[in-house]
Parts: sequence; C-alpha cells; structure tokens
Amino acid sequence: MSEFVVELRGITKRFGTFTALDDVSVKVRPQSLHAIVGENGAGKTTLMRVLQGILKPDSGTIIVEGKEVHFLHAEDAYAMGISMVSQHYSIIPSLSCIQNLMLAAEPGAVINYTQAKQRASQLAERLGVEFDWDASAEGLGPAGSQKLEILKLLWRNSRIMILDEPTAMLSPADSTALYENLKKLAAEGATILVVTHRLPEVMTYCDEVTILRGGKWVGDRTVNETDVNELAELIVGKALADLPEHHPPKAGRANLSIQNLSVKGHRGDQAVKSVSFELNVGEVVGLAGVDGNGQKELFQAIVGVTPAMGGTIKIDASEEPTVAARVRKGLRLIPEDRHEEGVIDDWPLAENMVLGFQEFAPLADGRWINAKEQRMFADRVLARFNTKFSSPDAPIRSLSGGNQQRAVAARALEFDPKVILAFQPTRGLDIAGMRDVYMAIRDACDKGASALVVSFDLDELLQFCDRVLVMNRGQIYEPAPDMARDRAELGRLMVTT
Amino acid sequence: MNWRLSVLVVAVVALLGVAIMSTQVPPATVFKTLFEGSLGSASRISDSLKEITPLLIAGIAVFVALQAGLFNIGAEGQLILGALSGVLVAQRIPGAAGWVLGSLAGMVVGGLWALPAALIKVYRNGHEVISTIMLNNIALLLGSAMVNGPFKGKLSGAPTTDPLDKGSMIPALMIGNLRISLAIFVGLALAIGIAIWIRKSVRGFELRAVGANLRAAEFAGVEAKRVMIRAMVASGALAGLAGSFQSLGYEGRFYPDFSPGYGFDALGVALLAGTNPWGILPAAAVFGILNKGSSALTIEGVPKGITGILLGLLIIVFAAVRYRESKASGS
Repeated sequence: MSEFVVELRGITKRFGTFTALDDVSVKVRPQSLHAIVGENGAGKTTLMRVLQGILKPDSGTIIVEGKEVHFLHAEDAYAMGISMVSQHYSIIPSLSCIQNLMLAAEPGAVINYTQAKQRASQLAERLGVEFDWDASAEGLGPAGSQKLEILKLLWRNSRIMILDEPTAMLSPADSTALYENLKKLAAEGATILVVTHRLPEVMTYCDEVTILRGGKWVGDRTVNETDVNELAELIVGKALADLPEHHPPKAGRANLSIQNLSVKGHRGDQAVKSVSFELNVGEVVGLAGVDGNGQKELFQAIVGVTPAMGGTIKIDASEEPTVAARVRKGLRLIPEDRHEEGVIDDWPLAENMVLGFQEFAPLADGRWINAKEQRMFADRVLARFNTKFSSPDAPIRSLSGGNQQRAVAARALEFDPKVILAFQPTRGLDIAGMRDVYMAIRDACDKGASALVVSFDLDELLQFCDRVLVMNRGQIYEPAPDMARDRAELGRLMVTT
Repeated sequence: MNWRLSVLVVAVVALLGVAIMSTQVPPATVFKTLFEGSLGSASRISDSLKEITPLLIAGIAVFVALQAGLFNIGAEGQLILGALSGVLVAQRIPGAAGWVLGSLAGMVVGGLWALPAALIKVYRNGHEVISTIMLNNIALLLGSAMVNGPFKGKLSGAPTTDPLDKGSMIPALMIGNLRISLAIFVGLALAIGIAIWIRKSVRGFELRAVGANLRAAEFAGVEAKRVMIRAMVASGALAGLAGSFQSLGYEGRFYPDFSPGYGFDALGVALLAGTNPWGILPAAAVFGILNKGSSALTIEGVPKGITGILLGLLIIVFAAVRYRESKASGS
C-alpha cells in the first residue's frame, strides 16, 4: 500500500479546444486536510469533478488506496468512499432534515425512521453538532446546511471528502467551527480535500496544499513550510500590486440617501427596521454583519424589486419609483445570487452583458437593438477583468463561477454608475480577481460614484472600504469614530445588542 | 452524433416501422399516399396550405407566449372564438371591409379571451396552463351554443352560421387550380416580423429575458408583470387571428368543428421550433402537410393516428437534439 490515499497522475481534461487541466498530478496523504488553491479557472473544480467521477479525464490515471480506478459515473467514486459537497448546497427545503440526510442513500425500500434517526444522531455527535431531525430543512441557515451536507457524506460512509469553497457563505465563527469539525473527522480517519481561495484558512487549518494555475500544476507545499506570500505568488504567478488606499470619509453630497427605511422579510417579519444612512460621493462603504440580518432585504428594496413598508430612498437626491428608473439614475448591482438575480444562464455572454442596459444608447437606438454596439460593449466589459471565455456567443453558464462573477462585476461599473450595490462581490473570486473588483469599484467612486458593499468577511471590508457599517437584526449601527476600524468593536456590534 | 441520440433515432424509426407494419399496408405505399395526398396535385397543395395557415399563425401565437415563459394551451379556444367573431362581423359588413374588420374582431376577441389567464397568472400566481385549459372548454361550448342558438344560420339545419358573401372573404390568388389565400401571405409576413422583432427589438429582448429568468429580468429593470400580460394577450390575439383567417379565408362560415385542433397542434409547432423563430414556418409546414396527407391515408385503410405518431416522435427527437446541443455548449 502506498503512503498516499489518493493519487491523481498526469490528468488532462479538454473541453473542445480549451484545456481545463493539463497534466496535473496531486498526491494526498491519508487523514490529512489537503487544500487545492488557485485562481478562478485554474482547474480546481474540474480536477475535483474528475476525482469524483463526474468528468472523465482525457488522459491520466486515478489511484485510490493503491489501486488504479476508472470511474464511469459519480456512483463509482461514491462506492469507493469519495464524495463531495459542492459550493451550492443541495438541501431540499421542503424535506425534513433526516430526509435530506438520507436522500439518494436511503437504507432500504422501507425506511425505519427510528433507526435512521439513531444513526443520524450518532453521526452528528461525531461532528459535535445537533439537529432536530424531523424539522424541515427550510430553516437551516448557510451554516446549518453546510453541516447537514457534511453529515450526508458521513451517512454515505465517505472516507475521502471533497469540499468546494466550504466557507464561502459562512460567518467567521462558523468557518472556524467547520474546520475544527473537519480536523476531528480527519483524526478519526477521513481524508479531506478543500478547494478554497482563502489562504488564511489554508495556513491555519490545512496540512498540505497543492497550487494550480491556468489548468497546470504549479507546486505542492507542506503548510508548515510556506507562508501566505509564497502561496499568493504561486497562485497568481507574479507579486501582487498595491491595494487601493483608504480615503478619509468626506462630507458632501450624498449619492444615496436612505431615510427611515423599513422592509418586510419573506417570513412576514420586519427584516429592515427603519434604517437611515447616506453614501457620500466617492465613498466605498462596507456593510458588515452575519448573514440573514436584513442585508438581502435592504438591497432588494434599494434596487426596487421589493417594495418598502415605509421610508424614502433617494438616488442622487431624487426618489424613483421603478427599477428601470433607478438604473437610469445610475444604480448598479452586483447581486447576491448571480444565477437567480444577475444573469440568464442559457443566454449568450454578450446578451448577458447588456442585461439592464438594454434601453441605453448606443446599445439600442429607440426601439431597436444595435447589434454591433452590443457586441463592442460586451467585448469591452469582458476585457475589464480579463474574463476568460471561448466566445461572446457561448452561454454564460459555460464559464467558470469566478469568470461569471468577473463579468457581472464588470457590468455593474458601466454607464457612469452613481450608486454601486455589491453583495459579496468577490464571492468565488481569487486574490487577483478580488483586488481587480475592489480597485474598479474604487476607481468608479473616485469618478463620483458611491458604493455599498456587503460582505460576511470583516477583514475584507476593513481592507477595502473607507467606512464600515454593521447590520444586525434589521438595524444599522455605525461604530464611534475612534473605533471605526476596530475589529473587536465591529465584531461586538455584529453579534450583540 | 452522440451514441444516445443514434439509439434514439433507431428506436424512433423502429417504432414508426412497427406502427406502419401493424396497419398491414406496405410502408412504401403509406409514404407515397402521404406525399401524394398532400402535395400530389394543385388542389391538394391548396388544401395543405389551408392546413398550414392556421398552424403557422397559431404557432407564432404559442411561440410568443412561450418566449415570455408562458404556456398558452388556450390557443384552441382563442382560435375558435376568433373564428366566430370574424364571421359575425364579416356577415354584417359587405366587401373587403368585411374581412379586414372581421380579422381585427378575431384578434380583439382572442386577446380578450387570453386576458383572464394572464391576470390570474400575474396577480394571483394561478398557473396559466390550468386556466387556459378551462377557458378552452368554455370557448368550445360557447361557440357551439352561439351557432345552435342566436347565430344559427337559416339555410341549414346543422349548427352553423350562414355562409359569407364571396366578397366579404379574404381574397386568394388562383394559379390554375392552385389557390393561395392572402391569409398565408399575412402569416408569412407575421412569422418574419416576429422573428425580427423578438431578436432585434428592445421589447423583444425584455420579453425573452422574462421568459428565461423572471427574477433576473426584474433586477434588470424589466417590468415583468406588464411584459407577461402583454405577451399573453398578444398570443391570444394571434390565435384569434388564426381562427378568423380560417373562417374568412377558407371556410366561409363558422361551425364548431371547423378546427381539428389547430390550437393544440400549434403547441407542437412551437415546441418543434424551440427558441428559434425561423423554425416556426418549417414546423407548421410539416404539421400541415402531414395533417392533409393523413386524410388520404384513411382512404387506404391506414388510421390517421399514424401521422400523429410521426409528429410526436419528431418532437421527441428534436427535443433530444436540442438537449444535447445545450449540454455540449455548457460545462
């Protein structure tokens, strides 16, 4: 038996003329937390899909526990104890927790729920969590869903677990808890592969790390023998340019003025409770807070897709009734859920870049679309963040998640934005992409726009924003001026009061 | 070609073969009859055109709604009431104004008949498939009641209106025995117009956005509710036009059974066309020619249903091809 539990040797995978993976090799030691890092489109997710049997490599071999394997379907990998939690959870809200847990891996044709729940509780205990098994999965937040997804792997007796961007939707505290649980599972015999962008997580919790760049293997490191700077360099292939500077908050004209705004939540409660704030010209303002404290409803009300219960929203000093009118006034959005709110998955990239600006000259003249202008516009938007794509006529879903996010972020910066609302704008982006997006937002604000950025990563906000507000239970708090950049104070506002 | 697709095609051909064999008429005869029965002579071609016209226009109707994400199963009902109102107006107005205003009346009535389904969908989230199916039943019975009751013709004992004056009917071009109604030219112009509009106009862009991702369209400033109502009413108006054209261009009167289900076949036409507006015309032609040819088959002792099987299989194969294409272009 070899000293590695999983070996991928010389894996190559092409999609048409595009080589997603080029002769990539990875060796994973048993009972380790092994991180796979790289830029968007580096091939991380593709590689994991090969290991999981979803994609068949064009060449290369997969060796699991010393034996060469040929996966034809995901079921084959699953039978070898390999399974994955993807970036988007597959929890069905209308089923109960126990039903979700067993889904597609039911113990038999007739289910003995008492036994099933017993086993489920034992597994949950191993992970140090608790579930009300009969409750519907609807109420699970991102952290709860994540835990349930990991329990699903345990339920299936997975020994090799793959997690794709597991902390993308989690608060810092939940992320810490997640990794502690993963450590525990590894100690008990599991091997865990984590695809992530967050280097601090890699440094704190992982044992080994493999770096990919542009579909090629760049290096393996033992975490103890490397540091964030080296990893960052390996990932992007060059030293990072300087980060944008903070501007001191300046008083002046407000691009966005919110007064006593209240918004109903989807459960009938009041999700946003009479909040007031302003975004001054040139300001990048962060909105920190734990997920689910009203950020989503606040954004939807400002965009205009959800009616406000009360209060006023002024963009550039005027109240506008419709979404279209607000877009014309200069409101731009990098939405929370790209697939739901931002793009049309089946549509060509070029048409997606026009979405929201369909009436704007010169993309349309009066009632008719100007196809040539649309195409030139799309090319320009896509070039801004170096979105990698095969053709502007290809559906946007053929792009990797990070490249889709680049395209959506670039789109929000077009046609002289006045107010940029960005919900987790760097979700799924690598370091270079994250810097590009914030630099571009900063650049737009230097030219007279304002931005409101929601992120669940407080460090990211402190790094990039001029001012950080905190949203907690539907209300917005601003720390005292002397505490404005105090991590502990902001954290206190996020979780107390 | 993907191997699954090859298997599907082989299976489809085999299934069709078995269906034809079971009629005990040699397959060659079946296809020859189908072909000759629909395209074999000038008058048969004229009859095929009569079938193609309503399928084309109602196909456009269903297509427009489908592009906005709405399934207009109600085309049949809208078509029937469009035909009735077209005749009622044309009976009362002599000359060319008769068919022009009659056609417009068909559009208005078809559009109004679709409106409740649109409003229920948009404001009460009631599924348009259910409401349009129910409106179909009402339309069918209403049409029948009208010609059994108030608008029953005096010249015949059957439930039908009196025939229209030749002068109030849509004119046709005669080339020998070949009769080409102006109706089909209008249909062609509509097909071309809609194809251009849906791809090249801002409103067409917004309509497609609503159909492809309602939420994303709303976030992009599209007034989705308004778009959906307009699309459904336009769809109903087009289906109503298909009906009034049929009675004013071909039948010359209204009777409840004039439609062998054009509105339902129009669903097949739109499905065959998929998202490509240029596909509606060939799809309507295939449906129309097979419909016409199937009457000839009956004479040979082959059940009409055989063309239904052929069309159904065709839709399945096209759906599979499209699925493969979309999978190949995605990740």
